[in-house]
Amino acid sequence: MRAALIALVLALTPGTALAENLVSGLSQDQIQITSNYTGSDLVVFGAIEQSAEPDEDTGAGRRDVVVVVRGPGATMDVRRKQRIAGIWINNREITLTGMPAYYYVASTRPLDKIAPAQTLGRYQIGLDHVKPESASTHNMAKAEQFRQAVVRERSRGRLFAEAPAGVEFLGYSLFRVHVPVPAGAPRGQYTAEVYLFKDGVVMAAQSTPLFVDQIGLERRLFNFAHNDAFAYGLATVIMAMLLGWLSSLIFRRT
Amino acid sequence: MEIYLPIAEMSVHWLIILGMGGAVGFLSGMFGVGGGFLLTPLLIFYGIPSEVAVATTASHITASSMAGVIAHWKRRTVDFTMAGVLLAGGLIGTSVGVYLFKLLREAGQSEFVVSAGYVILLGTVGGLMLKESLETLRAARSGNPPSTRPAHHNWIHGLPLKMRFRQSRLYISVFPPLVLGFIVGILSAIMGVGGGFILVPAMIYLLRMPTSVVMGTSFLQILCVTAATTVLQATSNYTVDIMLAGVLILGGVVGAQFGVRTGSRLRGEQLRLLLAILVLAVGVRLLIGLVVTPADIFSVAVEGQ
Repeated sequence: MRAALIALVLALTPGTALAENLVSGLSQDQIQITSNYTGSDLVVFGAIEQSAEPDEDTGAGRRDVVVVVRGPGATMDVRRKQRIAGIWINNREITLTGMPAYYYVASTRPLDKIAPAQTLGRYQIGLDHVKPESASTHNMAKAEQFRQAVVRERSRGRLFAEAPAGVEFLGYSLFRVHVPVPAGAPRGQYTAEVYLFKDGVVMAAQSTPLFVDQIGLERRLFNFAHNDAFAYGLATVIMAMLLGWLSSLIFRRT
Repeated sequence: MEIYLPIAEMSVHWLIILGMGGAVGFLSGMFGVGGGFLLTPLLIFYGIPSEVAVATTASHITASSMAGVIAHWKRRTVDFTMAGVLLAGGLIGTSVGVYLFKLLREAGQSEFVVSAGYVILLGTVGGLMLKESLETLRAARSGNPPSTRPAHHNWIHGLPLKMRFRQSRLYISVFPPLVLGFIVGILSAIMGVGGGFILVPAMIYLLRMPTSVVMGTSFLQILCVTAATTVLQATSNYTVDIMLAGVLILGGVVGAQFGVRTGSRLRGEQLRLLLAILVLAVGVRLLIGLVVTPADIFSVAVEGQ
């Protein structure tokens, strides 16, 4: 739905790099998580054409930029605890599929000032509007409760964030957004979307893919653990026994 | 410096992990227990997913018990016959336990079962040990030397299929050590513990083994069971983090060496009293975690990570 809308907006605007009066790019199309990775910044930059001055009194005609970076869709088991005989136990589980595992939105102003909730919901812009593709319940109120739990959990891990003043203007038309990608960011294909709003309506949109991947030793160990689990387990045991044996050798001499 | 853990999928500071491994290794060397009952909760409190904490702790215990086995082997304080019988039960227990753990994970109850299991076990074992060691200390102070090996036989001596355990100077049925090994194997898989905190008192009070061979024998049993657990968790749950294990072990093996030396300078009753207090403290901490209203009553588990 959302992808189709973006495609539609793109189709109606000639050229892919320059969509009407919006142009944007990424500092890198690949982020590699290595052993000393502690998180890094992805920079989304671009320019808009300010054709006319906005009305100073009403704010009409003002253009707003919203940048959304979404991680790969994930299947999440969300569980709710209940107090039973004084002890907290998981007793309700709902599975949300196609929920982005990472979500970051930056804008020039608070989102509710940029566009009505209906528009934001259609494009899934903002933490109130990130939705899974499906939920294992038909009870909308319940699904919403569990969706909010995911937003809270991801926000604690800095995997979901909203930056209402995160779009930084350098001069009149150039803008820049620093998107933090923490070490816990899931691997996979991400999309960076740039929206240009005017009077609550999307005037132009651009979507660019980027990849987050583990490289080096970590990636090889991960592959080893999943592709040849028995040898991996055995290797861990041998390493453990060797280190134990070595330590008693070293300490006997000293 | 931060390091990235490929299986836990998170960055950690290697010094903190090294320190945790060292502290737990020290205690493990001192008390002759694996220390998993401390390490697993510590790792979970630090933010490591509980499945990874449980499985990786097993490999940490493998290393620290390796050092322990070597030390006791040289002193000839390992009962290999007893360890063999315990291990036979242990391997069956581990296989059953890893399968049970998989079912619990799928049902979303693994964390609760791990915590509740710890509270019950640590509370019981710690309470019994505390009572026993206090009585021993009190008896020693009043001048009556306590009898470490009572002459009267308990019900265990009535069971069939008796076997001679030369090193332990015992002639008892194979069932008690077999069942004991089985229970400890299950615990190793589900809770990420070697089971020494059950094994050691059970060997002393239930099997009535001489204290001198208890430590070495429990180290050997723990070594083999945790090695099996590591391989089984790696193949069925993919939850063993080799990077985390490596750093924990480096700290652990060094800590264990100092622990063994400190332990040999302390008296048996004092050691047991200290261990009892430690066991109870961890149990109480986990009980609080179960009872206190959580900050967020919802929890999220991402599938296929």
